[in-house]
Amino acid sequence: MSSLVGFSSLVLAIGINFYLLLSRYIFKFQKQRFNFSIRLSSLLTLLSFFSLMYAYVVSDFSNYNVFQNSHSNKPLIYKISGTWGNHEGSMLLWLSILSIFSLFFSFTKNIDVNFQKLTLIIQASLHILFGLFIIFTSNPFLVNSILVEEGLGLNPILQDPGLAVHPPILYAGYVGYSIVFSIAIAGLFQNSDNEWLYVAKKWSLISWTFLTGGIALGSYWAYYELGWGGWWFWDPVENISLMPWIAGLALVHSLMMVRGEQAIKKWIVFLSILCFSLSVFGTFLVRSGILTSVHSFAADASRGIFILLIFFIITGFGFLVFLLKEPKKSNSLNFLFINKVSAIVINNILMIIATLTILLGTIYPIIIEVLYNKRISVGGPYFNSTVIPIMIPGFLLMSIAPILSWQTNKIKGSKKYVFVFIFLSMLVLIQSYFLDFNTWGFIGLLLGFWIILASTVAILSSYKIRPTINFIQIINPHIAHIGVGIAIVGITCSSVFQNELNFNVNEGDEFNVNGKKVIFEKIETTNEINFQALRGKFLYDIEKNKSKRIEAGKNYYPVSKMITSEAGILHQWNRDIYFILGDQKNNEWFVKVLINPFVSFIWLGVVIMMYSGLIAVTRK
Amino acid sequence: MSLRFQRLLLIFLTLVIILSAVLLILYNTREHVSYFYTPSEIKKSDILANKIIRIGGFVENNSFNKISSSKFNFRITDEKASIFVTFNGILPDLFREGQGTVIEGAFGNNNVFNATNVFAKHDENYMPASIKDGLKDTGYWKKNYK
Repeated sequence: MSSLVGFSSLVLAIGINFYLLLSRYIFKFQKQRFNFSIRLSSLLTLLSFFSLMYAYVVSDFSNYNVFQNSHSNKPLIYKISGTWGNHEGSMLLWLSILSIFSLFFSFTKNIDVNFQKLTLIIQASLHILFGLFIIFTSNPFLVNSILVEEGLGLNPILQDPGLAVHPPILYAGYVGYSIVFSIAIAGLFQNSDNEWLYVAKKWSLISWTFLTGGIALGSYWAYYELGWGGWWFWDPVENISLMPWIAGLALVHSLMMVRGEQAIKKWIVFLSILCFSLSVFGTFLVRSGILTSVHSFAADASRGIFILLIFFIITGFGFLVFLLKEPKKSNSLNFLFINKVSAIVINNILMIIATLTILLGTIYPIIIEVLYNKRISVGGPYFNSTVIPIMIPGFLLMSIAPILSWQTNKIKGSKKYVFVFIFLSMLVLIQSYFLDFNTWGFIGLLLGFWIILASTVAILSSYKIRPTINFIQIINPHIAHIGVGIAIVGITCSSVFQNELNFNVNEGDEFNVNGKKVIFEKIETTNEINFQALRGKFLYDIEKNKSKRIEAGKNYYPVSKMITSEAGILHQWNRDIYFILGDQKNNEWFVKVLINPFVSFIWLGVVIMMYSGLIAVTRK
Repeated sequence: MSLRFQRLLLIFLTLVIILSAVLLILYNTREHVSYFYTPSEIKKSDILANKIIRIGGFVENNSFNKISSSKFNFRITDEKASIFVTFNGILPDLFREGQGTVIEGAFGNNNVFNATNVFAKHDENYMPASIKDGLKDTGYWKKNYK
């Protein structure tokens, strides 16, 4: 029943969008009726999504999708989040988020009615494309042909709270760029004033904030779930989420120029199209199974071709409009050697090069396979030694860029910054002399602290500190950059200064981690709702009274006959102690301990960046 | 500095950035790319010792040995040829005999492959065998489910 409701409302929603698209040129709508149709189609799509969720919650195995990906003894949270823990459901989530964005956009006040209509029409076309994709290649409402009592269960790796938050927030970021895309295209068609730039700025900031959160949640999930001790692996899926993120960052920065009244409209339109194209392209790469990664759902060639087709339609249409409808010539740029305009231009160039570098590294294996019939893999070292050096000039610049002026060539109190930089270099050099000198460590720490310190100096010396909203908005760019600096410090420390220790221990043994005594108490097995847990119990720092318990082990899921690792992590503000329980022989267990310094700084930096993203939305 | 000179400088700077990026990419695609082979391809070609490569195949049945809690050896096969592999560390949870795997590492001087990384395929489609057979009978089995 719920499948029928879900499918019919999905089809009806697409039908309404078709009607909207066709009728635009046949008869003119009243605004009210137009908005009503858009909202109705959004609500129908959401109804469709929630009926799938309902089928999951009540374990309705007459639905083929539920049968394949669910099991009645799962905890409720995984029944709900299991809705999007598979290809079909995740595409329906994608479409639902697209609808939500259209819905919210239809409620936007104080913008030109024709412009709003056109934007929503483009959204409706996107809705049709992705809706047809779902119906023809990934229908989550297929009826199960055999009668079954029980489902096959959700992949145990996905049975984690991370599944409840990571995909929806990440998708909100990806799909958010659809509205930015539509706004840019509509802006080109209407070719009116600069009003659409302000609208685009707001929505691109919202999307970027969601994307940041989604990527960070994914990294954090990988960090504790995969048990590899790292949080970023340059996996293809990570790369394709990073590409729209960097392009989106470039977009947000170019839109800043609206304030300086020197917006390069053409470039902004280009970036808007690029961001959404990269989002769709990413979906294509993952879903088609061309690139294998931890995220690839089952490969199905027809899906890949269909998404590729959508990608070409969207990108082709976008860039065609871009070429034909040139924006009216805007005022020429006020380029000076060091002013804000040139800083933003350099920022954009660097970010686009970084995006292209990641794109190249990600699709390079495909190119080589097609050309030479050889299979290769491009791993972390490639990305580390290309992307990071490319970004370094940007990192150097970003600490002072927000205080540069739009018109003149001078930096207020430039001597101060030179002193700060020299002082910092000495300090980091001395520090690295006592630790083992490491080039990346030196560069990373210097840049990170330089950004933090110079931004702080800039805030203190350029503005009067007042506890007003206006002040918070004015210093917001600096705060965002401080967030980046903190994240850079965290990234550098946790990757360069990571320490790995290996032990072969029996129950009851004591060993030394970082000068602290650890006791391996015992191995314990327990039965949970839908899995068996094996845990090694460790007591960290037993000499003090405040000893901490760390549990690392494995879970066995009988339904799918699968084992997952569960790392034991002790979070401290300045380091994470990361325990992984390995194999055993003759009661001797292998234990790997990783000491990851300052990991918490990464998450703190991300939170600050997201906060700044939201504050920037409120600023006109 | 004249306005014109400043702009020239900026354009020059941009070109330098782009050029260095291109050089970086070219250099790194030569240095940091590892080739992927199947065991029978390896038997046919000469691969230098200590060159980092990846090998994909199945873990041969009855080849897995646990030497200690963190030392393992096994053979990786594609039915035509097989390679002897040693590994130190923690194997992935999905690693077992008869399953597909990809290993990264290099040949030592004694023709033994020392793996530094072992990957096992994560997949949404794993199924209990009984249901799999049932599905095959009804013709609902899609060919991409392994």
